[in-house]
Amino acid sequence: MSTFIETLANGIKESGINPQKISITSDIPFRPEDIKYLGVDYFHTNRGRAVAFGTGLKLTNPSLKVIPIIGDLITLGGNHLVHAGRRNMELTVICINSFIYREIAHKSAPETTTKFSAYSTFEEPFNIPHLANSCGAVYTARWTALHTDELAKSITEALQKNGLSVIEVLAPGLNYYQGIDKIESSLLNFYYENSEIKEGIEPRETEIRNDQKIIIGRFTTLERPTYLDTYNAQLTRVLGDKFIPYSGAVAEPKKEGE
Amino acid sequence: MKADPKSVLTGVYYIDGDVAAGWGALAAGCKFIAGYPITPSTEAAEAFARVAPKAGAIFIQMEDELASIAAVLGAAWGGAKAMTITSGPGYSLMMETIGYGAMLETPFVLLNVQRGGPSTGVPTKTGQADMMQSRWGSHGDYEIIAISPDSPQEMFDYTIKAFNLAEKYRCPVMIMADECVGHMTEKVVIPAADEIEIEPRNFYKGSAEEYLPFKPGSDLIPQIAKAGDGLNLFISGLAHNEKGYPVKKDEPRGIYLKRLIDKIQKNKDKIIELKEEETENCEVVVVSYGISSRVAIKGIDMAREKGIKVGNLRLVTVWPFPDEKIRELANRVKAFVVPEINYGQIVFEIERCCDGKANVVLVPHGGAGVHNPQDICDAIELGAQKEKKSEGIIEFKTRLEKLVFEGNWSAKE
Repeated sequence: MSTFIETLANGIKESGINPQKISITSDIPFRPEDIKYLGVDYFHTNRGRAVAFGTGLKLTNPSLKVIPIIGDLITLGGNHLVHAGRRNMELTVICINSFIYREIAHKSAPETTTKFSAYSTFEEPFNIPHLANSCGAVYTARWTALHTDELAKSITEALQKNGLSVIEVLAPGLNYYQGIDKIESSLLNFYYENSEIKEGIEPRETEIRNDQKIIIGRFTTLERPTYLDTYNAQLTRVLGDKFIPYSGAVAEPKKEGE
Repeated sequence: MKADPKSVLTGVYYIDGDVAAGWGALAAGCKFIAGYPITPSTEAAEAFARVAPKAGAIFIQMEDELASIAAVLGAAWGGAKAMTITSGPGYSLMMETIGYGAMLETPFVLLNVQRGGPSTGVPTKTGQADMMQSRWGSHGDYEIIAISPDSPQEMFDYTIKAFNLAEKYRCPVMIMADECVGHMTEKVVIPAADEIEIEPRNFYKGSAEEYLPFKPGSDLIPQIAKAGDGLNLFISGLAHNEKGYPVKKDEPRGIYLKRLIDKIQKNKDKIIELKEEETENCEVVVVSYGISSRVAIKGIDMAREKGIKVGNLRLVTVWPFPDEKIRELANRVKAFVVPEINYGQIVFEIERCCDGKANVVLVPHGGAGVHNPQDICDAIELGAQKEKKSEGIIEFKTRLEKLVFEGNWSAKE
């Protein structure tokens, strides 16, 4: 996981955005010792609500860049991602996909039986770039955690986009395998070795399947007006000068002696 | 601090409670409401959504109540005064995140216009059966504040009060209204902006190095921060220390928890608001809240005409519960009569505080309507006839119940 944090730091640095204006919301608990050196604000939300929490944060203070980091195969809170796409909410979603693939490219994944999958896994994963693309995301990409340079570049690009960006990162889970270094590193290598970069390919063709290598790369880049753009445009059209263009909702601070 | 004139719709209106609450939120400085439509609370969100764009505020319809409450917490940590509006089923969905909000000591307001339950229940009719859920609905130990308005005017006034309490005590504040109050149309007077007192947010102003987001002041309440100020916040729903970092194995646990409870319990006297009438020299006290307190007035009048000395205690603040007040009354009165639109919730709190010193008569109601004042009057009479001792909670058989369960059609009249 430290690999990912390092990549995230590089991506943020390269984007030129002041880390003080970045908020990470995540339902995955990061350790303070990992996150504090990034210089960002960090909100560990309850399960599945990182995108919805981030929506409130971003709308209150549009000058913030909000990075929801989600996992869990977007099960909990999957609906929030879908609707963030529909609204084109300005969020840079990073989905850490720790799905345990049983068999990819005619090879078995390393031994990964856990309490919840004692007999290994048979469920299909979501095709996350395709899902996000269908919902209206303006930027989608998929990398493995070991594609550090490419991932960092994607994070930079995503942070500079206006609208919902979704980056899928294939990496072993944070806590699921904590302390089982061997599995973590062997899984990382397994993903890395069984992936193939195909940039610009149609997102629907990037499904992770048993009979082919994992397709990685950048898949979507387009421009669409963001939620606040359309909100302000619509209300100006309807209300004219009665409308106070929305620029944030930060409350006035308490003054001395109040 | 005074309210912002842009946000106050000064004037005299004839509006319903929901609209009054929506306008009250705006007057209180609320700039962000996230919600999902649900009867009978929708009009409050509609009212806010209509006026917000003219006051620099925003309403967003989220995809569900799970998202609404999470967005409200996000907005609060972004620095906004924020609220969500819901009813029964939506309220249940919000529960996990309400606990998260209490854990992070997030100031926000939740308006629950209660309807008949359980489940989908009676969406368009009234209920008061979420009272215990408002206190205990999320897992774990925490404290919230709940207030229960009984008229459209109070929906306006107490929405402002709810925001002020949330800022002051850094905790979730629930406005536990009900469908009757929400859909009741009455005269509402909205004063000028300079007559409305607003509690501003107590943002931290010191250096980033020294900031501890959960270090309390002498009043047990820490100063809050917002995202984007370079404070390097680490805010987590895990058990945390003053810095916000998860407590380690060798650190004492539970300290944060004690303060979450204490900051409300030890400030109870400042938080609780009650309305009392003729409780000094009475034999029976009617304790009620929300719409039931309006109905109780009629029942009390009827009992007084029969010569019974009845006091009226209205719980404006339901949580934290006014233990001391009930204890003090229990020493003097024969019985408490508790009309509520459920089969017993707040009545248990009253029985607990009575400590066996007085009888407690519950006047239940299955929902989808309000009490018949005659039932309340008869329950008062029953309480007055009993000796001053405790027989536990006496469930009064209302006319409606006799009609439904005993086929006693004569009760129809």
